[in-house]
Amino acid sequence: MSRKHENAWGAPVPGEDEPLDERDLAVLDRLGRAVQVVDPVPESLVERSLFAMTLARLEAEIMELQQIEAPAGSVRGDAPPLEARTITFTHERLTVMIALSADDDGAHVRLDGWVAPAATLVVELRQPGGERTTTADDDGRFAFTAVDRGPTSLLVRLPDGGDVTVATPVIEL
Amino acid sequence: MTRATEEPPGGTPDADESLGDRAARAVLEFREGRTDALTDLVREATPLLWHTVRAQGVDRDVADDVVQSTWAALVRHAETIAEPKAVLKWLLVTARRAAWETVRKGRADLRRRTELPDDVTEGSAALPDAGPGPEAEVLNDERDRILWSSLRRLPERCQELLRLVSLADRPDYKAISASIGMPVGSIGATRGRCLAKLRAVLTEQGEASWT
Repeated sequence: MSRKHENAWGAPVPGEDEPLDERDLAVLDRLGRAVQVVDPVPESLVERSLFAMTLARLEAEIMELQQIEAPAGSVRGDAPPLEARTITFTHERLTVMIALSADDDGAHVRLDGWVAPAATLVVELRQPGGERTTTADDDGRFAFTAVDRGPTSLLVRLPDGGDVTVATPVIEL
Repeated sequence: MTRATEEPPGGTPDADESLGDRAARAVLEFREGRTDALTDLVREATPLLWHTVRAQGVDRDVADDVVQSTWAALVRHAETIAEPKAVLKWLLVTARRAAWETVRKGRADLRRRTELPDDVTEGSAALPDAGPGPEAEVLNDERDRILWSSLRRLPERCQELLRLVSLADRPDYKAISASIGMPVGSIGATRGRCLAKLRAVLTEQGEASWT
Protein backbone atom coordinates (compact mmCIF):
# COMPACT_ATOMS: atom_id res chain seq x y z
CA MET A 1 0.00 0.00 0.00
CA SER A 2 2.83 2.42 0.43
CA ARG A 3 3.37 4.25 -2.80
CA LYS A 4 6.93 5.30 -3.36
CA HIS A 5 8.03 7.57 -6.14
CA GLU A 6 11.30 5.89 -6.86
CA ASN A 7 10.62 6.39 -10.53
CA ALA A 8 10.81 10.09 -11.36
CA TRP A 9 13.89 11.52 -9.69
CA GLY A 10 15.53 8.67 -7.89
CA ALA A 11 15.06 8.15 -4.18
CA PRO A 12 11.64 8.28 -2.54
CA VAL A 13 10.50 11.42 -0.76
CA PRO A 14 10.96 11.05 3.00
CA GLY A 15 7.69 11.46 4.81
CA GLU A 16 5.63 11.41 1.64
CA ASP A 17 3.82 8.29 2.73
CA GLU A 18 3.15 9.44 6.24
CA PRO A 19 -0.54 8.98 6.60
CA LEU A 20 -2.77 12.02 6.71
CA ASP A 21 -5.76 11.66 8.96
CA GLU A 22 -9.34 12.41 8.01
CA ARG A 23 -9.18 15.97 9.21
CA ASP A 24 -5.95 16.70 7.31
CA LEU A 25 -7.59 15.37 4.18
CA ALA A 26 -10.73 17.40 4.76
CA VAL A 27 -8.70 20.57 5.34
CA LEU A 28 -6.60 19.99 2.22
CA ASP A 29 -9.67 19.20 0.17
CA ARG A 30 -11.42 22.39 1.24
CA LEU A 31 -8.22 24.39 0.80
CA GLY A 32 -7.77 23.08 -2.73
CA ARG A 33 -11.23 24.27 -3.68
CA ALA A 34 -10.65 27.65 -2.01
CA VAL A 35 -7.37 28.17 -3.89
CA GLN A 36 -9.19 27.57 -7.14
CA VAL A 37 -11.81 30.16 -6.24
CA VAL A 38 -9.47 32.83 -4.87
CA ASP A 39 -6.81 32.53 -7.57
CA PRO A 40 -8.26 30.56 -10.47
CA VAL A 41 -6.07 29.53 -13.35
CA PRO A 42 -7.24 31.77 -16.24
CA GLU A 43 -9.78 29.87 -18.25
CA SER A 44 -8.03 29.90 -21.59
CA LEU A 45 -4.43 29.65 -20.33
CA VAL A 46 -4.09 26.02 -21.38
CA GLU A 47 -5.32 26.74 -24.90
CA ARG A 48 -3.04 29.76 -25.25
CA SER A 49 -0.10 27.77 -23.93
CA LEU A 50 -0.74 25.04 -26.49
CA PHE A 51 -0.94 27.63 -29.24
CA ALA A 52 2.27 29.27 -27.97
CA MET A 53 3.93 25.85 -28.21
CA THR A 54 2.80 25.53 -31.80
CA LEU A 55 4.30 28.94 -32.53
CA ALA A 56 7.49 28.00 -30.71
CA ARG A 57 8.04 25.27 -33.25
CA LEU A 58 8.33 28.06 -35.85
CA GLU A 59 11.45 29.14 -33.96
CA ALA A 60 10.46 32.78 -33.70
CA GLU A 61 11.93 34.89 -30.91
CA ILE A 62 9.21 35.73 -28.44
CA MET A 63 8.75 39.38 -27.58
CA GLU A 64 8.26 40.48 -24.03
CA LEU A 65 4.91 41.67 -22.82
CA GLN A 66 5.73 45.12 -21.53
CA GLN A 67 2.52 46.72 -20.53
CA ILE A 68 -1.20 46.21 -20.68
CA GLU A 69 -3.58 49.03 -20.16
CA ALA A 70 -7.09 47.87 -19.66
CA PRO A 71 -10.24 49.40 -18.27
CA ALA A 72 -10.37 48.91 -14.52
CA GLY A 73 -11.99 45.71 -13.41
CA SER A 74 -11.23 43.58 -16.42
CA VAL A 75 -8.99 40.58 -16.09
CA ARG A 76 -7.11 39.20 -19.03
CA GLY A 77 -7.80 35.63 -19.89
CA ASP A 78 -11.13 35.55 -18.09
CA ALA A 79 -14.60 36.26 -19.31
CA PRO A 80 -15.33 38.31 -22.42
CA PRO A 81 -12.30 40.58 -22.24
CA LEU A 82 -10.73 43.48 -23.70
CA GLU A 83 -12.35 46.34 -25.60
CA ALA A 84 -10.15 49.41 -25.64
CA ARG A 85 -7.12 47.52 -24.46
CA THR A 86 -3.64 48.69 -25.35
CA ILE A 87 -0.72 46.28 -25.19
CA THR A 88 2.97 46.90 -25.71
CA PHE A 89 5.44 44.17 -26.68
CA THR A 90 9.17 44.68 -26.74
CA HIS A 91 12.16 42.96 -28.28
CA GLU A 92 15.71 44.27 -28.30
CA ARG A 93 15.28 45.44 -31.90
CA LEU A 94 11.58 46.13 -32.18
CA THR A 95 8.60 47.41 -30.22
CA VAL A 96 5.03 46.59 -31.20
CA MET A 97 2.09 48.36 -29.68
CA ILE A 98 -1.46 47.30 -30.39
CA ALA A 99 -4.83 48.82 -29.57
CA LEU A 100 -7.88 46.58 -29.57
CA SER A 101 -11.44 47.64 -30.15
CA ALA A 102 -14.75 46.05 -30.99
CA ASP A 103 -15.54 45.47 -34.64
CA ASP A 104 -18.80 44.37 -36.28
CA ASP A 105 -20.81 45.36 -33.22
CA GLY A 106 -18.52 43.35 -30.98
CA ALA A 107 -18.69 40.11 -32.93
CA HIS A 108 -15.09 40.60 -33.99
CA VAL A 109 -12.08 42.62 -32.94
CA ARG A 110 -10.24 45.42 -34.68
CA LEU A 111 -6.53 45.51 -34.07
CA ASP A 112 -4.57 48.71 -34.76
CA GLY A 113 -0.83 48.41 -34.41
CA TRP A 114 2.41 50.34 -34.64
CA VAL A 115 5.90 48.98 -35.02
CA ALA A 116 8.88 51.00 -33.85
CA PRO A 117 11.31 51.86 -35.27
CA ALA A 118 8.87 52.54 -38.10
CA ALA A 119 9.45 50.42 -41.17
CA THR A 120 7.39 48.78 -43.89
CA LEU A 121 7.48 45.37 -42.27
CA VAL A 122 5.30 42.39 -43.03
CA VAL A 123 3.10 41.60 -40.05
CA GLU A 124 1.44 38.23 -39.75
CA LEU A 125 -1.56 37.54 -37.53
CA ARG A 126 -1.72 33.93 -36.36
CA GLN A 127 -4.68 32.20 -34.81
CA PRO A 128 -5.37 28.49 -34.40
CA GLY A 129 -7.76 28.79 -37.36
CA GLY A 130 -5.26 30.29 -39.79
CA GLU A 131 -3.11 33.29 -40.58
CA ARG A 132 -3.44 36.69 -42.25
CA THR A 133 -0.77 39.07 -43.43
CA THR A 134 -0.52 42.82 -43.83
CA THR A 135 2.25 45.35 -44.26
CA ALA A 136 3.02 48.27 -41.96
CA ASP A 137 3.11 51.68 -43.68
CA ASP A 138 6.00 54.17 -43.63
CA ASP A 139 4.95 55.29 -40.17
CA GLY A 140 4.94 51.73 -38.92
CA ARG A 141 1.15 51.55 -38.75
CA PHE A 142 -0.86 48.47 -39.56
CA ALA A 143 -4.35 47.17 -38.87
CA PHE A 144 -6.38 43.98 -38.98
CA THR A 145 -10.14 44.28 -39.08
CA ALA A 146 -12.84 41.73 -38.30
CA VAL A 147 -10.44 39.49 -36.40
CA ASP A 148 -11.93 36.41 -34.77
CA ARG A 149 -11.78 36.20 -31.00
CA GLY A 150 -9.47 33.58 -29.51
CA PRO A 151 -5.76 32.99 -28.97
CA THR A 152 -3.76 35.30 -31.20
CA SER A 153 -0.13 36.10 -31.88
CA LEU A 154 1.56 38.57 -34.21
CA LEU A 155 4.72 37.65 -36.08
CA VAL A 156 7.07 40.22 -37.55
CA ARG A 157 10.08 39.47 -39.73
CA LEU A 158 12.89 41.84 -38.80
CA PRO A 159 14.32 44.13 -41.47
CA ASP A 160 17.74 42.90 -42.58
CA GLY A 161 17.42 40.30 -39.92
CA GLY A 162 18.07 37.39 -42.19
CA ASP A 163 15.71 34.77 -40.95
CA VAL A 164 14.94 36.39 -37.60
CA THR A 165 11.24 36.47 -36.84
CA VAL A 166 9.81 37.82 -33.63
CA ALA A 167 6.43 36.84 -32.25
CA THR A 168 4.30 38.33 -29.51
CA PRO A 169 3.21 36.11 -26.66
CA VAL A 170 -0.21 34.63 -27.31
CA ILE A 171 -2.98 36.93 -26.17
CA GLU A 172 -6.65 36.16 -25.88
CA LEU A 173 -8.83 38.41 -28.04
CA MET B 1 -12.77 15.15 -4.93
CA THR B 2 -11.15 12.15 -3.41
CA ARG B 3 -7.75 12.20 -1.92
CA ALA B 4 -6.55 8.66 -1.83
CA THR B 5 -3.62 7.91 0.39
CA GLU B 6 -3.73 4.27 -0.60
CA GLU B 7 -3.41 2.51 -3.86
CA PRO B 8 -6.73 2.38 -5.68
CA PRO B 9 -8.02 -1.19 -5.61
CA GLY B 10 -6.58 -3.17 -8.47
CA GLY B 11 -4.83 -0.01 -9.70
CA THR B 12 -4.45 0.67 -13.39
CA PRO B 13 -1.04 0.30 -15.04
CA ASP B 14 -0.63 4.08 -14.80
CA ALA B 15 -1.54 4.29 -11.15
CA ASP B 16 2.07 4.46 -10.06
CA GLU B 17 3.11 6.96 -12.70
CA SER B 18 3.83 10.32 -11.12
CA LEU B 19 3.42 13.68 -12.82
CA GLY B 20 7.20 13.71 -13.26
CA ASP B 21 7.04 10.36 -15.08
CA ARG B 22 4.27 11.60 -17.35
CA ALA B 23 6.31 14.71 -18.14
CA ALA B 24 9.29 12.56 -19.10
CA ARG B 25 7.16 10.36 -21.33
CA ALA B 26 5.51 13.40 -22.95
CA VAL B 27 8.85 14.84 -24.01
CA LEU B 28 10.18 11.53 -25.27
CA GLU B 29 7.06 11.03 -27.37
CA PHE B 30 7.19 14.63 -28.57
CA ARG B 31 10.69 14.00 -29.90
CA GLU B 32 9.26 11.15 -31.90
CA GLY B 33 6.60 13.42 -33.33
CA ARG B 34 3.71 12.37 -31.10
CA THR B 35 2.19 15.33 -29.26
CA ASP B 36 -0.83 13.89 -27.42
CA ALA B 37 0.99 13.18 -24.17
CA LEU B 38 2.49 16.66 -24.18
CA THR B 39 -0.96 18.20 -24.69
CA ASP B 40 -2.22 16.17 -21.72
CA LEU B 41 0.76 17.31 -19.68
CA VAL B 42 -0.02 20.97 -20.44
CA ARG B 43 -3.55 20.46 -19.19
CA GLU B 44 -2.44 18.65 -16.06
CA ALA B 45 0.60 20.69 -15.03
CA THR B 46 -0.54 24.23 -15.92
CA PRO B 47 -2.27 24.72 -12.52
CA LEU B 48 0.94 23.73 -10.73
CA LEU B 49 2.96 26.15 -12.87
CA TRP B 50 0.38 28.89 -12.38
CA HIS B 51 0.42 28.68 -8.60
CA THR B 52 4.18 28.31 -8.53
CA VAL B 53 4.53 31.54 -10.48
CA ARG B 54 1.86 33.37 -8.50
CA ALA B 55 3.63 32.45 -5.27
CA GLN B 56 6.59 34.53 -6.44
CA GLY B 57 4.44 37.64 -6.10
CA VAL B 58 3.63 38.41 -9.75
CA ASP B 59 0.24 39.64 -10.86
CA ARG B 60 -2.17 37.59 -12.95
CA ASP B 61 -1.30 39.15 -16.31
CA VAL B 62 2.39 38.54 -15.83
CA ALA B 63 1.84 35.03 -14.47
CA ASP B 64 -0.21 34.23 -17.55
CA ASP B 65 2.66 35.36 -19.75
CA VAL B 66 5.28 33.48 -17.74
CA VAL B 67 3.35 30.21 -17.86
CA GLN B 68 2.83 30.19 -21.60
CA SER B 69 6.42 31.29 -22.21
CA THR B 70 7.61 28.40 -20.06
CA TRP B 71 5.68 25.89 -22.16
CA ALA B 72 6.98 27.48 -25.35
CA ALA B 73 10.51 27.23 -23.96
CA LEU B 74 9.99 23.53 -23.33
CA VAL B 75 9.20 22.99 -27.01
CA ARG B 76 12.31 24.91 -28.04
CA HIS B 77 14.46 22.86 -25.67
CA ALA B 78 12.74 19.51 -26.13
CA GLU B 79 15.46 18.13 -28.36
CA THR B 80 18.30 19.12 -26.07
CA ILE B 81 17.02 18.23 -22.61
CA ALA B 82 19.53 15.59 -21.60
CA GLU B 83 17.57 14.05 -18.78
CA PRO B 84 13.87 13.61 -19.60
CA LYS B 85 13.21 12.46 -16.04
CA ALA B 86 13.97 16.02 -14.94
CA VAL B 87 11.56 17.71 -17.35
CA LEU B 88 8.99 18.63 -14.74
CA LYS B 89 11.65 20.04 -12.46
CA TRP B 90 13.03 22.00 -15.42
CA LEU B 91 9.59 23.47 -16.13
CA LEU B 92 9.06 24.55 -12.54
CA VAL B 93 12.53 26.01 -12.09
CA THR B 94 12.27 27.85 -15.42
CA ALA B 95 8.91 29.31 -14.43
CA ARG B 96 10.15 30.37 -11.02
CA ARG B 97 13.20 32.08 -12.46
CA ALA B 98 11.14 33.91 -15.06
CA ALA B 99 8.78 35.06 -12.33
CA TRP B 100 11.66 36.31 -10.17
CA GLU B 101 13.06 38.18 -13.13
CA THR B 102 9.80 40.04 -13.71
CA VAL B 103 9.46 40.83 -10.02
CA ARG B 104 12.99 42.18 -9.87
CA LYS B 105 12.52 44.20 -13.04
CA GLY B 106 9.18 45.52 -11.81
CA ARG B 107 10.81 46.74 -8.61
CA ALA B 108 13.65 48.37 -10.51
CA ASP B 109 11.15 50.11 -12.80
CA LEU B 110 9.09 51.25 -9.87
CA ARG B 111 12.16 52.65 -8.16
CA ARG B 112 13.17 54.49 -11.30
CA ARG B 113 9.73 55.94 -11.78
CA THR B 114 9.15 57.05 -8.23
CA GLU B 115 12.76 57.85 -7.32
CA LEU B 116 12.05 56.71 -3.80
CA PRO B 117 14.72 55.11 -1.65
CA ASP B 118 14.90 51.35 -1.78
CA ASP B 119 12.41 50.44 0.88
CA VAL B 120 11.10 47.37 -0.87
CA THR B 121 11.62 44.15 1.03
CA GLU B 122 14.11 42.02 -0.84
CA GLY B 123 14.56 38.31 -0.57
CA SER B 124 11.67 35.93 -0.78
CA ALA B 125 8.82 37.50 -2.67
CA ALA B 126 5.63 38.28 -0.85
CA LEU B 127 2.58 36.26 -1.70
CA PRO B 128 0.08 38.33 -3.62
CA ASP B 129 -2.15 40.50 -1.46
CA ALA B 130 -0.67 39.72 1.95
CA GLY B 131 -3.17 39.65 4.78
CA PRO B 132 -6.60 38.05 4.85
CA GLY B 133 -7.48 40.80 2.42
CA PRO B 134 -10.26 41.37 -0.04
CA GLU B 135 -9.28 38.28 -2.03
CA ALA B 136 -11.16 36.12 0.47
CA GLU B 137 -14.35 37.99 -0.34
CA VAL B 138 -14.88 35.76 -3.35
CA LEU B 139 -15.33 32.86 -0.94
CA ASN B 140 -19.01 32.54 -0.21
CA ASP B 141 -18.80 29.97 2.54
CA GLU B 142 -17.93 31.28 6.00
CA ARG B 143 -15.85 28.18 6.74
CA ASP B 144 -13.83 28.76 3.57
CA ARG B 145 -13.16 32.32 4.64
CA ILE B 146 -12.01 31.15 8.08
CA LEU B 147 -9.78 28.55 6.45
CA TRP B 148 -8.31 31.16 4.14
CA SER B 149 -7.59 33.71 6.85
CA SER B 150 -6.10 30.92 8.96
CA LEU B 151 -3.83 29.94 6.10
CA ARG B 152 -2.68 33.54 5.74
CA ARG B 153 -1.50 33.51 9.35
CA LEU B 154 1.02 30.75 8.65
CA PRO B 155 4.63 31.38 7.61
CA GLU B 156 4.92 32.02 3.86
CA ARG B 157 6.70 28.73 3.25
CA CYS B 158 3.79 26.87 4.78
CA GLN B 159 1.29 28.83 2.72
CA GLU B 160 3.11 28.05 -0.51
CA LEU B 161 3.54 24.40 0.34
CA LEU B 162 -0.04 23.80 1.45
CA ARG B 163 -1.51 25.62 -1.54
CA LEU B 164 0.45 23.39 -3.90
CA VAL B 165 -0.20 20.20 -1.93
CA SER B 166 -3.93 20.95 -1.96
CA LEU B 167 -4.08 21.17 -5.76
CA ALA B 168 -3.77 17.52 -6.62
CA ASP B 169 -5.33 14.37 -5.29
CA ARG B 170 -1.94 12.74 -5.38
CA PRO B 171 0.62 15.54 -5.25
CA ASP B 172 4.01 14.91 -6.81
CA TYR B 173 6.19 15.97 -3.89
CA LYS B 174 9.35 16.03 -5.96
CA ALA B 175 7.67 18.50 -8.29
CA ILE B 176 6.49 20.60 -5.36
CA SER B 177 9.96 20.55 -3.89
CA ALA B 178 11.28 21.98 -7.17
CA SER B 179 8.55 24.55 -7.40
CA ILE B 180 9.11 26.10 -3.99
CA GLY B 181 12.82 25.37 -3.71
CA MET B 182 12.47 23.23 -0.59
CA PRO B 183 14.78 20.24 -0.24
CA VAL B 184 13.02 16.98 -1.08
CA GLY B 185 14.31 15.53 2.17
CA SER B 186 12.39 17.94 4.35
CA ILE B 187 9.17 18.29 2.42
CA GLY B 188 7.28 15.45 4.08
CA ALA B 189 8.05 16.64 7.58
CA THR B 190 7.35 20.26 6.64
CA ARG B 191 3.99 19.30 5.21
CA GLY B 192 3.14 17.64 8.54
CA ARG B 193 4.25 20.66 10.56
CA CYS B 194 2.38 23.11 8.34
CA LEU B 195 -0.81 21.09 8.50
CA ALA B 196 -0.50 20.90 12.28
CA LYS B 197 -0.06 24.68 12.46
CA LEU B 198 -3.04 25.24 10.23
CA ARG B 199 -5.16 22.94 12.33
CA ALA B 200 -4.04 24.72 15.50
CA VAL B 201 -5.11 28.08 14.06
CA LEU B 202 -8.41 26.60 12.94
CA THR B 203 -9.02 25.21 16.39
CA GLU B 204 -8.35 28.66 17.87
CA GLN B 205 -11.00 29.98 15.51
CA GLY B 206 -13.42 27.44 16.87
CA GLU B 207 -13.37 25.32 13.74
CA ALA B 208 -12.75 21.95 15.32
CA SER B 209 -14.71 19.60 13.12
CA TRP B 210 -13.70 19.28 9.52
CA THR B 211 -14.81 15.84 8.60
